[in-house]
Amino acid sequence: MGKRILLCDDEIHILRAAEFKLKRAGYDVRIASDGEEGWAQIQQEMPDLVVTDCQMPRLDGLGLIARAREHEATRKLPFFMLTAKGLELSHTELADKLKVLGVISKPFSPRDLLRSIDEVLQPATAT
Amino acid sequence: MKSFRVDTAITVPAFVLSVASATAWFAQLFLAPLTRAQGLTVFAVAGIVSLVTAALCLRLNRPVQGAFRCFLDELSQSDSLTLNDPSTVSVSRVLERSSWGPLADDVRRHLAEMGERVHELETTRSAVEIRARRAMDEADRLRAILANLGDPILIINGYDEVSLANPAAESLFSLDSDSPEQRSVASLLTCQRLVDLLLTTNHRESKGRRTDEIEIPDSSGISHWYRATACRLPLFREGVSPQEDAGHGTVVVLRDVDREKNLQKRNAEFVSSVSHEMKTPLAGIKAYVELLADGEADDEETMEEFLGVIDSQADRLQRLVENLLNLARIEAGVVSVNKKNRPLNEILEEASQVVQPAADAKQITLAVELSPLYLGVHADRDMLLQSAINLLSNAVKYTPDGGRVTLRSRAVDNMVVYEVEDTGVGLNEEDSRLVFEKFYRVKKDKNMAQGTGLGLPLAKHIVEDVHGGTLSLESELGVGSKFTAALPVAGQLA
Repeated sequence: MGKRILLCDDEIHILRAAEFKLKRAGYDVRIASDGEEGWAQIQQEMPDLVVTDCQMPRLDGLGLIARAREHEATRKLPFFMLTAKGLELSHTELADKLKVLGVISKPFSPRDLLRSIDEVLQPATAT
Repeated sequence: MKSFRVDTAITVPAFVLSVASATAWFAQLFLAPLTRAQGLTVFAVAGIVSLVTAALCLRLNRPVQGAFRCFLDELSQSDSLTLNDPSTVSVSRVLERSSWGPLADDVRRHLAEMGERVHELETTRSAVEIRARRAMDEADRLRAILANLGDPILIINGYDEVSLANPAAESLFSLDSDSPEQRSVASLLTCQRLVDLLLTTNHRESKGRRTDEIEIPDSSGISHWYRATACRLPLFREGVSPQEDAGHGTVVVLRDVDREKNLQKRNAEFVSSVSHEMKTPLAGIKAYVELLADGEADDEETMEEFLGVIDSQADRLQRLVENLLNLARIEAGVVSVNKKNRPLNEILEEASQVVQPAADAKQITLAVELSPLYLGVHADRDMLLQSAINLLSNAVKYTPDGGRVTLRSRAVDNMVVYEVEDTGVGLNEEDSRLVFEKFYRVKKDKNMAQGTGLGLPLAKHIVEDVHGGTLSLESELGVGSKFTAALPVAGQLA
């Protein structure tokens, strides 16, 4: 089984598209519909990388990453942010404070998402 | 002698003595030397003659004196009108013929000139009084305008002291209305930016106005944004520099721009919301089109699933655009309305079918309890459907998973009513009041669901402005909300 990726988004069709592409590439994909559910999944089975939306019910993406950075086990967990809030987010804050690897803007290309994840998890095979 | 005067008592004996002495001296000088008796006789005769002459003169002069006195009495008793024309004052024949006649004429002429001067002065005084009254009226009017202006206005003098504050300014800065004047502006105002604006404007050379947007807390501590415009008042005296004269000063007018600021903020939030709302279905369309293009869908079932997602996301995008356009059209008054008598229940059933998938996704029970009666409404079908969909999807969005949303219809007097009740998060009093305002989103629930803040204002416009009904809200925080749309009945209830 490939490396484990957790996808957090409250839009089911976005989750399904990303899940489909990543699974076909051999990743073990888990999904969550909000930040709280995502945090529960992280604690249950530590993923190798998390892709999260920003605006979600209960706990949003920034809240999820901030919570992960507070815990030793998840302090270095790689995060990508997949969001329609492009310029509204402070990319400096995301990179410097929350150590987010990158921001992928919606509408997004599943192909590019896969490439970005490959670069992190399988740098040798990434093209 | 009744009117015996001191000057007469002195001048007459002096005259008599002088004439007698002179006569005796001349007689001694030009005639033969006189004896003492002859000298005394000459002196006595000359004295008697001169005394008689003086008495005759006094007697002859008395009528002239009397006439002159009468003339002066008449002048002194005349009013200002006769004084304007002293020629009307009569002069007796005695006075005219006497040596006092020209003097009387001079007096009359001078009085005539004085009369003219007095007349001119009176005219000038009247004009000045009118101007002063007008200036006072003008000042009263300006004071009344200042007092009734809602915008706070402050005026400071050249010594940086508050010289005038209208009631709005007194209220904003908690100034004592009895004695706000002549106190240093720096000690009266706590807002340093406003003080800086006033002082800088007051002491600079250029006379242009300066504007700043300043946040000022009111007496209850709540901050409001004001646009403060300060400009120098003109000098009251020409040719006097500001350093020498305290008559100049600065006026500042404060305009409350809270509403504008909020509108700007809400517009920015709206653009962000609309952009986010549009990007989300677009993201779905783009992702699934790419998956299809990459040949990721191996079987027909997957392909159909992908195409279904693209279709539903395109519908979602279309609904959003329609909401935006409809609201813009209704607000601009350019919407074309196709009203006909229609059954309300059919429209409500269709709306419930549109929202059902969203309810299912959250395990929300969507209960449809429609009246068995025929409820006719004179309505635009698409618009009324839109209003019901908006109310139902709002209820589904803000009801936690597993909750209940109920759609009811019934007849009440001459109205037909449809209600959307939920077991959702509910609203407090302030949010209940603001929730029908365009772009307003309840802060605490923003992360619970996506939205543009357009659905409820649009529903209200459709029910009230387009169909002449009412849309009301009852809500309790943590319990749920009930939206009630009442529309005029069309035809007979059956």
